[in-house]
Amino acid sequence: MSDVQLALTNTAGISSVASFWAFAVSNASARFHGKLTKVGLAVLVIGFVALTGSIVMRGFESQRFPLSNLYESLLWFAWAVMGAYLFFSRSYDVKHLGWLASLTAATFFLYGSILPASQHDIKPLVPALVSYWRQIHVPPLIVSYAMFFLGGLAAFVQLWSAARLKSVLLAMAGLLAGMAAVALGTYTETNSFVLQGLFVGGSLLGIGTAWWQLGSFKATAGNKARADMYDEVVYRAIMIGFPLLTIGIITGGLWANAAWGSYWSWDPKESMALVTWLSYAAYIHLRIHHECSAEKLSLVAISGMVLTLLTYLGFNSLGFSGLHSYGRFKESGAFIQASPVVSYQNASDTLLS
Amino acid sequence: MVTAVSDTSKSEQLKGVPFRLSAFASVKLTVLLLVLIATTVLIGAWCPQEAQQGRDKVIETFGSDFGAQLIKYGIADIYHSPFFLGLIGLLTVNMVACSVQRVFPKVRSLAQPMPLLKEDAIAKMTVCSSAQYAAPANLVLQSVQSRLRSHGYVVSSTDNRLAAHWGKCGRLAPTITHIGLLMLLLGVTITSWTGFNGFQAVPLHGVMSFDQSEHSKLWLGQLPQWALRVDATRRENYDNGDAKQWYSTLSVVDSHGKVLKKQEISVNNPLSFQGVDIYQSSWGLGSIAVSFNGKRMELPLRQMGPVIHAAFLPLDHNTIMMFSVHGQDEPVRVFAKIPEWPQPRILTVLAKGQPTVLGSVQVRYDDLIPVTGLQYKCDPGLFITYAAFAFIMLGVILAAVPHRQLWVDVIPLRTGGCRLVIGGVSRKAKSTFEKNLAKLRQMLDREFAPLQEEEASCPMFN
Repeated sequence: MSDVQLALTNTAGISSVASFWAFAVSNASARFHGKLTKVGLAVLVIGFVALTGSIVMRGFESQRFPLSNLYESLLWFAWAVMGAYLFFSRSYDVKHLGWLASLTAATFFLYGSILPASQHDIKPLVPALVSYWRQIHVPPLIVSYAMFFLGGLAAFVQLWSAARLKSVLLAMAGLLAGMAAVALGTYTETNSFVLQGLFVGGSLLGIGTAWWQLGSFKATAGNKARADMYDEVVYRAIMIGFPLLTIGIITGGLWANAAWGSYWSWDPKESMALVTWLSYAAYIHLRIHHECSAEKLSLVAISGMVLTLLTYLGFNSLGFSGLHSYGRFKESGAFIQASPVVSYQNASDTLLS
Repeated sequence: MVTAVSDTSKSEQLKGVPFRLSAFASVKLTVLLLVLIATTVLIGAWCPQEAQQGRDKVIETFGSDFGAQLIKYGIADIYHSPFFLGLIGLLTVNMVACSVQRVFPKVRSLAQPMPLLKEDAIAKMTVCSSAQYAAPANLVLQSVQSRLRSHGYVVSSTDNRLAAHWGKCGRLAPTITHIGLLMLLLGVTITSWTGFNGFQAVPLHGVMSFDQSEHSKLWLGQLPQWALRVDATRRENYDNGDAKQWYSTLSVVDSHGKVLKKQEISVNNPLSFQGVDIYQSSWGLGSIAVSFNGKRMELPLRQMGPVIHAAFLPLDHNTIMMFSVHGQDEPVRVFAKIPEWPQPRILTVLAKGQPTVLGSVQVRYDDLIPVTGLQYKCDPGLFITYAAFAFIMLGVILAAVPHRQLWVDVIPLRTGGCRLVIGGVSRKAKSTFEKNLAKLRQMLDREFAPLQEEEASCPMFN
């Protein structure tokens, strides 16, 4: 990675942190609310431009489309979250969402920055990735994940605007349990089943009790106009993300058919993408046919966000395997031991080199 | 009013639909099935599947006891379980029922012109606005009409009323998506009943037939009579020795040995012949050919790491000879190991075709015999499946287009001015629609000075 690319990436990361603070303080301060919101937005624009430059430079340096490992996909994800927020801020008054969008971008920058150096280095592609399909299949998926994340964050603001604070806290706890499992799976050697239990159990418990809270207690007050607007933002984000996810899944099928002779092989990552697709298909059916309230729809959107997290990062960090292990960065001993060459591995090290 | 229209159309849609089918046309059932299918697939993603990763992987992941339970209860083959197939079958029935009852009739209703609504009907809409202007009614209506047209609306009008819409294609999204999903099921069914697939590791100059192909139990297809011969195969490396690409030159030969087609394939670049596609899926070094005093032997190679392969030749109970191979174009290193030596000792390095004498034996490295991994499949439903993909993609893209409907009634006043009532519906982007409507009002207010502040009569201002 060149110094210029590093500087651009760092600028984007620092900008996301700065805009988070600007948006967060703007929500707390009535006096400086307007000015700080503008500052937050301006800093986010700077970060977005810097990150665009960083991704383009990485493409030039690697002489290929810069989306081939987990680190590069995290850069794309942060770029898409920032871009999507800026896009929505043109049509909607989404200043209450700014700190969450910036925090998400900053978190993913942090996650990417402490990955092993091998992830940051520009490396040659494995044979399976040497295809024009890579640039057709992967970007729609990453952008769709970002749209679903933004939709999920807007759903939190919708619930908060509708004075469903307990549901917000419980659903947030569920999401944080999922994120904690991903972080532990990435940076520690915690048992996979413990991590899977923490992710699934934590998020189910959090979102389940948040749902129960909606049914059991009436909201006392709330800003209906704002809640309605964020409900629409959730829907718009999903209606942009859903076609992109569909395109990503289908182009993945076309690529798999061109490379392996099968457009669907029930690979865990494929299956998880289908689960995410089905969850958003359920959301769209519920929304179009007015089958439940805006608050329940927000919880469905948050569930979709958790499934998106599981599909995108949980797959690599919670011990799943399959054909989509390009994002995996641990040189896992278990992976080598699963191979029949294990008994000859030591021999090759000591005898033949 | 809008509800009344939809109720009427719903009852009209139910006419002609068999009762038994309409019982399945429930959105609640759709959502329930989607959730159950998603949960089942989630379990399938969590538990290694026998059909994809083998039974050993299930045992390796969960241990022999729990793994055996997962296999026994069908969790390790969940995509072939009656429960999952039943859910898919039920979803198909649900989709057909919903399509026939609700989705497809929408296309017909879209072809009908929008009605021109009166003031009181417009005032009941969730997004509406009204104002009084000193200008004549026809002038105000013309201005509204031209502004809407400039924003891409399709407008129909009479003297004092106007109806306009934008993004009508967005309403086609469910119809197109459902057609795509039904086509997908058709394509997959055709492939299941007539297609086949398989994998073979074929050594250089070896011949592959399709006798070991896999297909469903209920199968109406036919296996090809021709075979494939591997004429050449090689691996291309990056500078650091990692694999960059694998290549195989294949000949399609008939039962008389006649070559019908010849092509070099690589990963992502398959060979297609008579509806069968052959893919480069893996590659390895299969064996090493070595001559001892002129007698040729082929020793199987084993992969020892990312680059190194080795062949082991026991000479007696205590002595092993080893041939270490780094690549197709590299010389071979020969080692020996006896119990007295703590580590193997290198004896010699053999260049290809050049004999070396080791004691009383003349050893010559003749050749490396690579093995190419060929995946193949015949998918007669592919064309329909790809068409289904196109329909689904088009459908979900159209779903993002918001359909906006707008009505205007301009009532002439006795004083010479007019009263404008404007309202509309946009289910997908209400806030943006409200903003656009407010902008239109502002432009009209600038063009025609409003007579007085209109009393709140629409829900928008309540």
